[in-house]
Amino acid sequence: MNVTAPMVGKLVSLSVEVGGRVRKNDVVATVESMKMYVRIYAPADGAVKEIKAAPGDLVNPESVLMVLE
Amino acid sequence: MRKIYEELARKREQIKAMGGEKAVAGQKKAGKWTARERIEYFFDSGTFTEIGMFVKHRITAFGMADKDVPAEGVVVGYGKVNGRMVMAAAEDYTAMAGTFGEYHGKKFAQAIDMAKEMGIPFVGMNDSGGARLQEGMDTLEAYAWLFRSQNLASGIIPQIALLMGPCLGGQAYHPVMQDFVFQCRKTGFMGIAGPAFVKTQLGIDIDLETLCGIEAHAVKSGCTHVVVEDDRDCLDKTKELLAFLPQNNGEKPARIDTGDAAGRPVPELDGLVPEHSLMPYDMHEIIHRIVDSGYFFEIMPDFAKNVIIGFARFSGRVTGVVASQPNWMGGVIDCNAADKVARFVRFCDLFNIPLVNIHDTPAFMIGPFEEWKGILRHGAKMLYAYIDATVPKVTVIIRKSFAGAYLGMCCKDTGADMVFAWPEATVTIVGAETAASVIFAKEIKSAGNPEEVKAKRIQEYRDLYENPYRAAERGYIDEVIMPHETRQRICAALDLLENKSVARPWRKYSNINL
Repeated sequence: MNVTAPMVGKLVSLSVEVGGRVRKNDVVATVESMKMYVRIYAPADGAVKEIKAAPGDLVNPESVLMVLE
Repeated sequence: MRKIYEELARKREQIKAMGGEKAVAGQKKAGKWTARERIEYFFDSGTFTEIGMFVKHRITAFGMADKDVPAEGVVVGYGKVNGRMVMAAAEDYTAMAGTFGEYHGKKFAQAIDMAKEMGIPFVGMNDSGGARLQEGMDTLEAYAWLFRSQNLASGIIPQIALLMGPCLGGQAYHPVMQDFVFQCRKTGFMGIAGPAFVKTQLGIDIDLETLCGIEAHAVKSGCTHVVVEDDRDCLDKTKELLAFLPQNNGEKPARIDTGDAAGRPVPELDGLVPEHSLMPYDMHEIIHRIVDSGYFFEIMPDFAKNVIIGFARFSGRVTGVVASQPNWMGGVIDCNAADKVARFVRFCDLFNIPLVNIHDTPAFMIGPFEEWKGILRHGAKMLYAYIDATVPKVTVIIRKSFAGAYLGMCCKDTGADMVFAWPEATVTIVGAETAASVIFAKEIKSAGNPEEVKAKRIQEYRDLYENPYRAAERGYIDEVIMPHETRQRICAALDLLENKSVARPWRKYSNINL
């Protein structure tokens, strides 16, 4: 399952690592957008299979930040 | 006993048996109650009166002449809920799958017409296999009766749709055009077309739950307002919602004694908002602390989570609450959030429910994604809704309130009767970085130490404008308050506004950006 950003912004930090387990609604990353830190939540329980973005990257609603399985 | 009395008893018995033992067993197996069980549970004991029990279709084609459909697949009647009169129509899936034919539709539409004339809420319990195709054009036109009746009753009586079974095809416009849609987690389905039609027309393989279930409508489409676990939960939550609503648009909602004092200070609010202006927090923490007994009935909690809407009470008075949610997308207002707020504001205005608007939002969302979706015409709905609304409106600015979002969340001149702001509030046209980079662009560019000049100018702008006092000096904020005073101020303002009256020149309606 892909984790995408809900909006355009700059990826500030990642809160998980590849292989780590997450629960639905855990904060997995933070994006800065519109003068706010926007929390990105896990859409489901799972393990982080792959991380596809790095802090500093510009992301948008079509960007896949990470893949959960 | 006279024979004719016996005949009546026998006929009633037969109709009350619905589609027969086998069909009723099938309904139970599917995890659903029957229409009559739902009615029995929903209404206050012994208050329900059924009407139109003997109504029957008049179709003879395709073997329908001998086909008995008990109560025409929809149980209609009235009774009391929470001690107040309500009209209901409950589709009976055991009777020819609750299919919608001419007289099924007529019963439904007449129930709404009657509810409108009597000024009582209407509750529809949807559980139908769809259009009764054997009836052809008669079925199709009956949909129009239903839509016409419900639309003409819209804004006069509250209308609530309960998706307890399937509701697919054109029929699905019925729930969607009511004021609130409840959807049962495992059994409620709604869609313009079911999987079979999607497969034949589009070649897409998709199952009913994915296409039309709760994820589809409570999360993605925004058509469902409340997700419920099962039939019992659905009917309980419906009663809970009805307790917030007036019987019709000529009444105010009932005020009750909640035992929570209007003057209760809320000391936990002081210091609750993070000092770092970019840090989000959960707005529910504020809402639950200021409303009576922490009781908040949230509407659409899983759709456009960047705004929160729902019903609560302040010193016993029913209030519609609209709030930003900094914890989701930073509380920015996008197209979906604007739609969510606008329709809720209009519902509250139609039914004399005061509004409390609590905001901490950086802006309407900018950039190509939302621009091309039409943030301007969607955001406009909020402006229209608030400016058109004549109910009491109280606004509380918690922290960020910039640009269009300040106007969209109901500022003084987009309709607020009373505006309060916390000392943390930053109310201005744009943030300091943006403003300074525009105003002082030349100066910064030509300076020997541009970064230093830029920082100095940003700080100057911030000191001057990023606070609540400039707006308060002009009277756009009525009072800058301590966070712990918020509940007291809201309750007192609603007392003041109790008999607010607004007269405006006649017009058919405003041309809201739909």
